Amino acid sequence: MSTAPTFAVVGHPNKGKSSVVATLSQNDAIAIALEPGTTRARQAYPLSVDGKTLYTLVDTPGFQRPRRVLEWLEAHSVSASDHSETVRAFVLQHQGDGRFTDECELLTPLIEGAGIIYVVDGSVPYSAEHEAEMTILRWTGQPSLALINSIGSDDHSATWQAALGQFFQVVRNFDAVRAPFEQHLSLLRAFGQLEPDWEQALDQATHHLSAQRQRRKTLAAGIVANALKDMMSFQEKRTLTLDQVAGTSDNTLAEQLRQSWYQHQRQREQTLRVEIEHLYQHQRVRRQEAELEWHSDHDLFSEGSREHWAVSKRYLATAGFGAGAVSGAGLDAITLGTSLGTGALVGGLIGAAGSYFYGDKLTLPVLNIGLLRDGLKTATFGPVQDSQFGYVVLGRAVDHWWHISHRNHAGRELLDLEPADQHWLERLDKKSRQTIQRTLDKCRKQQPLDENQRHNFHLAIEQCMTGYEDWRLNRT
Amino acid sequence: MTDHSLRLLLDFDACAQRDNGQAPAFLHRRDRKFALTCEQQGVAPSPKRWMAHMNHLSGPGAGADPSAQILGFWNRINNGFMVVGAVLGLLAMLGLLFYDGGQRINVTVILAFVAFQLLLALLTTAQSLVGWQPWRPLLRRFGKTPESAVSVKLQPVLMAQAAQRGGLCFALAGLVTLLVMVVLQDLAFGWSTTLETDAKSYHRLISTIAAPWAWLWPAAAPEFTLVEATRFFRAGAGEDATNPARWGQWWPFIAMLWATWALLPRFVLCVLAGFAIRRKARYLLASHPAKRALMYRMETPALDTGTDHNDAADQPDTDTHLSLKPLPDTRIVLCWAGAGDPELPDTLSAGKSLIAKAGGRMTLAEDRQTLKQVASHLTQTPTTSILLVTRGWEPPTGELEDFLTSAREAWPKGTQVALVPLASHIEKEPDTHQVQQWLRFAQRAGPEFITVSLIPAHEALPDMDAGALE
Repeated sequence: MSTAPTFAVVGHPNKGKSSVVATLSQNDAIAIALEPGTTRARQAYPLSVDGKTLYTLVDTPGFQRPRRVLEWLEAHSVSASDHSETVRAFVLQHQGDGRFTDECELLTPLIEGAGIIYVVDGSVPYSAEHEAEMTILRWTGQPSLALINSIGSDDHSATWQAALGQFFQVVRNFDAVRAPFEQHLSLLRAFGQLEPDWEQALDQATHHLSAQRQRRKTLAAGIVANALKDMMSFQEKRTLTLDQVAGTSDNTLAEQLRQSWYQHQRQREQTLRVEIEHLYQHQRVRRQEAELEWHSDHDLFSEGSREHWAVSKRYLATAGFGAGAVSGAGLDAITLGTSLGTGALVGGLIGAAGSYFYGDKLTLPVLNIGLLRDGLKTATFGPVQDSQFGYVVLGRAVDHWWHISHRNHAGRELLDLEPADQHWLERLDKKSRQTIQRTLDKCRKQQPLDENQRHNFHLAIEQCMTGYEDWRLNRT
Repeated sequence: MTDHSLRLLLDFDACAQRDNGQAPAFLHRRDRKFALTCEQQGVAPSPKRWMAHMNHLSGPGAGADPSAQILGFWNRINNGFMVVGAVLGLLAMLGLLFYDGGQRINVTVILAFVAFQLLLALLTTAQSLVGWQPWRPLLRRFGKTPESAVSVKLQPVLMAQAAQRGGLCFALAGLVTLLVMVVLQDLAFGWSTTLETDAKSYHRLISTIAAPWAWLWPAAAPEFTLVEATRFFRAGAGEDATNPARWGQWWPFIAMLWATWALLPRFVLCVLAGFAIRRKARYLLASHPAKRALMYRMETPALDTGTDHNDAADQPDTDTHLSLKPLPDTRIVLCWAGAGDPELPDTLSAGKSLIAKAGGRMTLAEDRQTLKQVASHLTQTPTTSILLVTRGWEPPTGELEDFLTSAREAWPKGTQVALVPLASHIEKEPDTHQVQQWLRFAQRAGPEFITVSLIPAHEALPDMDAGALE
């Protein structure tokens, strides 16, 4: 069996070689900076399936002294047939020579048989000054492909395309930071077409990568579903001794419980974010959390969140909620009445169960202080009384998932979660709507879900993700 | 308790709990590798094999199985129930057979007691099937390990088994006590009831109850004459003319009644409880969420896209200590690597005595020639500064560094080079990060020799007069 192909990503310094490698290897821990010489040594990034390497990308430092190298090569070559040997001789002779460290690093994989991925920046004007580099690369005799990456906002790719075509077999545009996943796959297939022996390995790799992406979506749906379940059914509990009951007013207790309930929900949402990020191999988004631009007025419980993510009353009605909500509200009132009747002290009902029909605020959970038992009293806050809360969490989670799943690993910019301006859930099919509504209600009532219900809920959330993806696609 | 299914379930559950904290990528690699090994060996990967593999890997001395603790706890509960059952069985039978010679032992009471036993046994089984756990707070108080979701679901069947075992010992101890009492004492059985019933209907009842063993042991199925002869009334005590031996003839019936309707059901339900545990354990294992995840990990290829390498912390030093200097007034301009193509801005071209090119497409020999040309120019004019125009967006490379090193040697002492990075749009200033890379380059190469300046944007030509003079 032939060995797995290797591709050396080479070019002038600071043209985004590491960004290309970071995106294709889904590694966001590669040092990327707008500073020449960030990459000082070559580094291999193998893609392996079950331990078997399908291909290897090698990130390399940029050319520092191409004219001097070319001068040496020309001086030591007799005819075109000895070009690749001369390059090999150059590397051998200059190992350890401080002036040519970068050239040796980038030429070594090429003399070992790697394919050439030459990266240029298409946002700056074409420059014939790079021709010495391209000539050296041609001397290696390796199959080659040129990538026009765009670091800045200007577009000079057409002139680059024309010029690079003279030196390279294939020229492709690839924006390492913004290219969608389908382009990653198409680029990898193009790598495979450089050499007949490489095609099969690259086809396998793209097949596995697409399958992995589909699996990730399913797993992400499961993660979101679990978080929703946790958050909808969460109840803040506190056990108080008689002294504590005497020393705390109901209002203070309500406030404390409410605060810790909020705190817990925010933390749970953060855990969800990190889980999704890790699923997509974004390990470093979280480390930038301090810089993460959360709109302070779009936090989980703000009015803004509700406006952007909550669903319309019409939606709820079609989700089989309508009458149920009224009776649900009635039921809450009855339960409350019963607990009053049995002598439980009700600290306060914050918000009114029916208010969402008439008001603009989410109905908040109920504070309930239980009966004295074994000299202890139990005060509880939650679970949330309004399914809209679930839709806010779901909307934000799906939005975050979309951003993460579409974020390339070369991206180093802040994750800006701008709220969407339409109710995208309106597009969801009726069955999924009903499943989501029913599950949210069950969670709210702290009823357990069986395996089948859980599975259906996951499927419905996955449908949501698909719907949101379509909506995003058609929005722009 | 050597129940493999139960042990496997508990071990699997404990393992799944431990795995909760592990990185998903690690778990995937680990389990996929196991599945591939199984494939090589031609066997299907199952949770049982996986558990054995995990135990094998942790090697000897890894501590007791997680299941051992839970099973030990339930063994103690079972033993406790059996001991208590046996003691209670003995006491209950002694109570039932209490006979001081004055009164008969009422068979009706024993019948009722056996019926109650049967009812209890059936209720225990029904409760385990329904999953009702009235004794759960007690378990929670005495259990050492926190309850997991699996153990909560297992508790009804485990508890039913403990209760049935206790009941079995109760019935067994009762039977032994009965037989011992029959040997040691003369027991006088009779039947009595307040209800208006005749011996005939009572005999019918007794015959129905004795039906299972009547064919096997006819003596244990009382005849009508015995039933008729052994009815007693407490009010009529003392007038009895029945042969005292008749009173004792009930004992085979009582022994068989106890064995068939108390002991045997308990035994059968006890065995069924064992089956129920195994069935429940197999079901819980099959529907365990971790099993689904495990099978998924085993079936899915482990894809590693090359994320091992991490040099994110190895960022270049981007501190800049130098600052921009004003554009020096000089008449020598060098354009590096195509900078200023096709046309230099007027600020840089007007009034210059020498404008030369180096780097880029020029050969190294041409660069050396340029160096000489500049050196001779410097010696001829009082100028000590040279403008080196570069493309601001291109990073400074080793070639420029080499060129400047050679220049420093070739040019007169005290000469200064001002690097002038241009923006790609000539009318604009280059971006800050682009200027900073040149400032850092100047600092590395020697700030006494190299400075960085920018052309003033939209400014009138500064040395128009000088150019005019030239």
